[in-house]
Amino acid sequence: MPQTASPGVKPAILVIEDERGLAEEIRYELQAEGYPVELAETRAEGLRAARAGAAAVLVVDRMLHGEDGLSILTTLREEGNATPILVISALSSVDDRIRGLKAGGDDYLAKPFELRELTARVEALSRRVADARATRLRAGPLEMDLVERAVWRGERRIDLLPREFKLLEYFMRRPNRIVTRAMLLEDVWNYRFLPQTNVVDVHIGNLRRKIDAGGEPRLIVNVRAAGFKLNVEE
Amino acid sequence: MWKNELLRSRAFRLALAFALAITAAATVVFTFIYLQISAAAIQRVSDRLAFEAGLARNESDAELHLRIEQHLTSDLRRLDFVGLYDSSGAVLLGDPAALPPIRIDGRAHLVGSIPGPGAARAEEGIFVAIRRSDGSILALGRSLAEINALRESVASALAISLAPTIVLILVIGAFFARRANRRLANIHAAIGEIVKGDFKQRLPVFAELDDVDLVSRDVNLMLDDIARLLEQLRNVGDDIAHDLRTPLAVARAKIERGLARGASLDDLRAAMAEALDHLDRAAATIGAFLRVSAVEHGRRQGRFAPVDLSSVCTGVFEFYEPLAQSKGVAIALDAPQLALVSGDEDLLREAISNLVENAIKFTPEGGLVRVAANVEDGKAGVTVSDSGPGVAPQDRERIFWRFFRSDRTGPASGNGLGLSIAAAIAKLHGFSLKVEDNAPGARFTLRGDANLGGPTATGRSEVTEAVVAPV
Repeated sequence: MPQTASPGVKPAILVIEDERGLAEEIRYELQAEGYPVELAETRAEGLRAARAGAAAVLVVDRMLHGEDGLSILTTLREEGNATPILVISALSSVDDRIRGLKAGGDDYLAKPFELRELTARVEALSRRVADARATRLRAGPLEMDLVERAVWRGERRIDLLPREFKLLEYFMRRPNRIVTRAMLLEDVWNYRFLPQTNVVDVHIGNLRRKIDAGGEPRLIVNVRAAGFKLNVEE
Repeated sequence: MWKNELLRSRAFRLALAFALAITAAATVVFTFIYLQISAAAIQRVSDRLAFEAGLARNESDAELHLRIEQHLTSDLRRLDFVGLYDSSGAVLLGDPAALPPIRIDGRAHLVGSIPGPGAARAEEGIFVAIRRSDGSILALGRSLAEINALRESVASALAISLAPTIVLILVIGAFFARRANRRLANIHAAIGEIVKGDFKQRLPVFAELDDVDLVSRDVNLMLDDIARLLEQLRNVGDDIAHDLRTPLAVARAKIERGLARGASLDDLRAAMAEALDHLDRAAATIGAFLRVSAVEHGRRQGRFAPVDLSSVCTGVFEFYEPLAQSKGVAIALDAPQLALVSGDEDLLREAISNLVENAIKFTPEGGLVRVAANVEDGKAGVTVSDSGPGVAPQDRERIFWRFFRSDRTGPASGNGLGLSIAAAIAKLHGFSLKVEDNAPGARFTLRGDANLGGPTATGRSEVTEAVVAPV
């Protein structure tokens, strides 16, 4: 199992999920990644814990013992609580996703999901604040000029197609973080569904061939059962 | 029971009503004929009597006596009367024995009964009486017995002619009622079988194709549809069960083996990883299946907006080009002009992606996939053609069914749902999706409604509109 736990204290996560077995697995997985985790089983419990304000990210199940988990979102948002929320649900249609995001969710994940996917998204939400206005990105040996649309690895200039540029930009904004295929599809290509082929891997492969010239260490690595990571020294 | 059934039968009740109508109509016609004939006869008799009385007024006594004698000897039927009476009304010669109670004015009068030697004859008659110059009274008359007899014969003719007609009508009515009842009983029995679950059963249809047959035929067509849907449903159920059970069975076996025989943690981990792959496959099947349902039952038309299929195709092409290249398949894009439809861009991208992914999957190395957006007959559409093995004619409809796998699936993977999802998306938009022979290969065409122009269109087509408008 690859070790992705980074040093330092990670922010607390509140998981509001009535399915005990799943809640325990989520807690186990997040704790293994270094996050303190609090569990809540009902809407009332969840709201109380969320209002206490200790959690940096909420993971909320859409359906809680017959109650609508989305009402937690709307209530919190009405109260001015802006804590990032990941909605998890057995409902997977596009409409449900849109409803979840409209109610104040920041991301939406359909059951069954890979625990690594959940972790990756929680991580993305907990570290969401990035300088969106920067015109120059740096990650390890990589440097990207968003205005000139140019990329260098060290001194070497890399020629990228627009689609490859977009892909690399996504990684450079999230160095050393797991990026799943679903995240790439949703955020880079605006795809709301999972293709049945390894098309994402092909894109990554093409990008790799351009940024890793002969002998250079591989920058974008595969993370088994999860996705990819731009592996650079911070 | 049988009587009740008969009376309840529509056919018999119709026959009954028909018989009544025939009776009423015939009675009216016969009555009219009788009245016409009798009125004419009475008129004729009255005219003759008045005329003869006029002649007799001036006849000599001798002539008159001779005539009365002649009449008395020749009128055996006692229908005509000639009588001479004195001024007091006593009979002098001839008959009837008493002067009928009429005015002596030389005009015809109807009398209710004819005075006789004994009791008066209870029959109607027409009489004319005149006063002769010598003061005696001459009466001429004729019995109406003949004409009255005509009325009876008309009535009996009516009865004689009507009776068999009515009987015939009722018999025919009963016959049809019974037949209808029997047919309804057959239909009822057939429906009973169908309700019990025998969907091979059909309602009986006879060659004559009357109204009941037409209804039965339509019901049968409906039953064919239902049976086909049920069959499809059963197949889908089987397919889902297969697609879920297979990976679950494999996952279970792997976990079982890992637990029982895993010699080391690495063995166990490897077995678990493999099991996870298979569980993911089962989850993907459920997800894809729900996706089809969600699209099929989605009511997303509210969010429809103008979508340029050319730009969607360009995006899809960009996305899949590396995949095609990695497979050694050439991929070409042909989307030169705006191709606007009203739709949901995310869903249309998904449909086109599925078509392109499908084409790449089935095209062998060295082949060609072509993605084209165009406008034909004012309708925007997308064509995805490949140089793969193509689709057999008998599979060209079924290929869009849920979970259908043709032989062409063969070595390539995938859960066979991409095309079903594309078809569901096309259906939601009211677009057509069909597959043709690309000689070689397959050519899928998604064709929208009329190309959007005018108010809902964006930039470029508004320009086109402006150019077209003044012409």
